[in-house]
Amino acid sequence: MKDLRKEDKINIGSTLLEAGSLLMSSGASTMRIRHTMNRIANALGYKIELMITHRALSITLIDEEGEHLFSRIKRISPHGVNFRVVSGICHMSWNIIDDKWSLEMINKELNRLKSLPHYPRLLILIAVGFADAGFCHNIGGGTYEMIISLIATFIGLFVRQEFMKRKFNPYICVYLAALTASFIACCSRFIPLDIMTNKALATSVLFLIPGVPLINSITDLIDGNIQNGIIRGINGLIISFAIALGLLTTGLIFKLQLL
Amino acid sequence: MMNIILDLLSKGLWAGIAGVGFAILFNVPLRTLIPIWFLACIGVIVKFTCMHFEIGIITASFIGATAVGIFALFAARKYYGPPLVFSIPSVIPMIPGAFAYNMMLGFIDLSTVVDHDEYIRVLSFTSSNGLKALFILMGLAAGVALPMLLARKESIKQIEHNKN
Repeated sequence: MKDLRKEDKINIGSTLLEAGSLLMSSGASTMRIRHTMNRIANALGYKIELMITHRALSITLIDEEGEHLFSRIKRISPHGVNFRVVSGICHMSWNIIDDKWSLEMINKELNRLKSLPHYPRLLILIAVGFADAGFCHNIGGGTYEMIISLIATFIGLFVRQEFMKRKFNPYICVYLAALTASFIACCSRFIPLDIMTNKALATSVLFLIPGVPLINSITDLIDGNIQNGIIRGINGLIISFAIALGLLTTGLIFKLQLL
Repeated sequence: MMNIILDLLSKGLWAGIAGVGFAILFNVPLRTLIPIWFLACIGVIVKFTCMHFEIGIITASFIGATAVGIFALFAARKYYGPPLVFSIPSVIPMIPGAFAYNMMLGFIDLSTVVDHDEYIRVLSFTSSNGLKALFILMGLAAGVALPMLLARKESIKQIEHNKN
């Protein structure tokens, strides 16, 4: 172990950082990141000390005699939920223990996981549209409301994806998506059918709810990672606020008197 | 009685579709989509059954989320993946969208209402909806996290691994 080349130490450290930052930006909880990175490091025969924050990850690599080998900080790329990566890395960490993977194999697997495709865009749009139609059904909407909710969601999510592609601020993307979706849902007032606009409107923005940040926030708080929990919670609150602002704008446009 | 059960099943079915929709948005592995459908179904059915027996919506949501959390542990073991991949998309159909929406409308109105009695009415409407939304959300998150905390390990795989 002593005659480990310098590049090897750097490689091991960088690989661990890469795995950790991928987990963080894909929406894993802090405890899970800590456990997974520890597991990989132990399987390779090292100990690590970690500092995990929302936007940066710091690691110190220690060998078994307690000698300091390597320290580095890595910035975490903007968050975008991707459970395929979380699932893949957790699965890999067990394979590393069981099958004694080498560093090259780990790097290869990380690259493979990073390049895994998302679902086709049209499928995502339709599936999320049906998800909101499902919400609408469950708060008592009929067929018309469900269809309106579906269409509004479809276009709202499309708008969000387009603005995300153009690298707008994520909260502005949410605001614009909420505005578009609620605007379209509100337009159903002009259709001469018996439609409860309220219900379509309420469910047309639900695809934006920050479910992952809020649930991870509570999980982190319960686990004792209070700082990360608070940060994630506030992130979720800002997203909710952006949704509310979108609804508010629609409300002003249509002069809603729904109470 | 038959009507109630049919209504419950249709709610469960649509909740499952909602769960799968969000699962696709979160880019879960393909093999987990069917278990997520079932988990979302179970969660909502448990929740509405509880509400049928006159348990409050906050407690009912908490119980539903706990059921999802428990089944997610088993699903995680069977279909290989961390429990959160299964549980987060599955509890999202239980998120209190209508309450949160009413709260938002209430806030919008509060900023413009002048008449005192009307203000009090809108304020009570807003706060009751807002508090419900907040507590349901906390109940959902706690319910999902609870089974994992009770298992005292970060994954079911760890427990199996220690046995061998």
